[in-house]
Amino acid sequence: MKPFSKEILHIENIEEVCDTIVNKLKTDVAQKLQRRGAVVGISGGIDSSVCMALSTKAFGPEKVTAIMLPEQDSSDDSKNLALKLANKFSVKTIEENITKALDGFGCYRRRDEAIARVIHNFDPKVDKAKIEIKQDISQNIPGIFSVTVIKPNGEVISKLLPVKEYLQIVASTNFKQRSRMSMLYYHAERLHYAVIGTPNKHEVEQGFFVKHGDGGADVMPIGHLYKTQVYQLARYLGVPQEIIDRTPTTDTYTAEQTQEDFFFQMPHKEMDLIWYGWENNYKTDEVGKVMGKTAQEIENIYKSFERKRNTTEYLRMRPIF
Amino acid sequence: MKTQVETENKNKIKNYIISATLSDTKAINDDTLIFETGLLDSMGLLFLVEYLNEEFNIEVKDDELLPENFQSVNSILKFIEGKQ
Repeated sequence: MKPFSKEILHIENIEEVCDTIVNKLKTDVAQKLQRRGAVVGISGGIDSSVCMALSTKAFGPEKVTAIMLPEQDSSDDSKNLALKLANKFSVKTIEENITKALDGFGCYRRRDEAIARVIHNFDPKVDKAKIEIKQDISQNIPGIFSVTVIKPNGEVISKLLPVKEYLQIVASTNFKQRSRMSMLYYHAERLHYAVIGTPNKHEVEQGFFVKHGDGGADVMPIGHLYKTQVYQLARYLGVPQEIIDRTPTTDTYTAEQTQEDFFFQMPHKEMDLIWYGWENNYKTDEVGKVMGKTAQEIENIYKSFERKRNTTEYLRMRPIF
Repeated sequence: MKTQVETENKNKIKNYIISATLSDTKAINDDTLIFETGLLDSMGLLFLVEYLNEEFNIEVKDDELLPENFQSVNSILKFIEGKQ
């Protein structure tokens, strides 16, 4: 076993790794799935950008269709960056605004009703809102969500979410990922293409995806890669620098929300390394020394990873017969 | 008298955890670490917070979500007493 270091996740032979992924993608889509191209939902984020770039390498730009799926809460940056990416790789794009579909499902109304039951003066017309885990991951207690409302004058109101409201907010916003996947399959079916899923290793294994939403694709080419490695691949593939430099967000709630605040509770570079240490049974004191943390803090983070993986097993399960 | 109320509250908390987790009554004592042993996960903690609110009329704030307040029946009891 290699000594634990901050460089342990660096891919030495990036060209070879990239070729392996591309060849597998080609085989999976053409032979296993028997489809003739790829549909990728692009958000201007790093994961979907890398998946689109890999698909272009595998099938050629003429057999890739990139779909942009904005809704009323999406940031304008997402669309601009997605367009820049598609132009760079000469991939055709289709924009499908899903706001009306979400409105039909009652996504916004159901979410806002739940928020207003917790923060009584919440006004969805002018206030911004998000949910986040505020606890420190190195403390040995499961993370639970708070709702935060930001008033137009900058006032921030935050409250721990009761179970009923938490579940309603999550169930409502999950319409977004499920509607997007529905639209991706519409295009995939009309073209006889496969849907390329964009979750990375952490999202898959910690359950940071929506069942039958972004977790419902045909093939997930970066599902085995740490986020640090996805960035390395992005640089190798020539993904635009603005996308590489952008802080990963959920682009789901009206208030700005990083993936770190929402779910992961620590920066991805740190999380990747400690996850690797946990997965490969590195001793907590060895990892702690490299990461500038105590062995006890690393132990607590290991436990948090284990809890998240166990709690989200349901999301990865196939239907039970 | 205080001891009797304490015992009643302790039993209420313990019974709640046993019932919520469908555990054997022997699976938990006053000092069992409920997260370490996997009895409660994040949803379990969320439901526990709701139970404490309904049963003991206490509101838990996000900065009170600490292991020392929730890691065992005894620590939950101490936390409740501090809030009442």
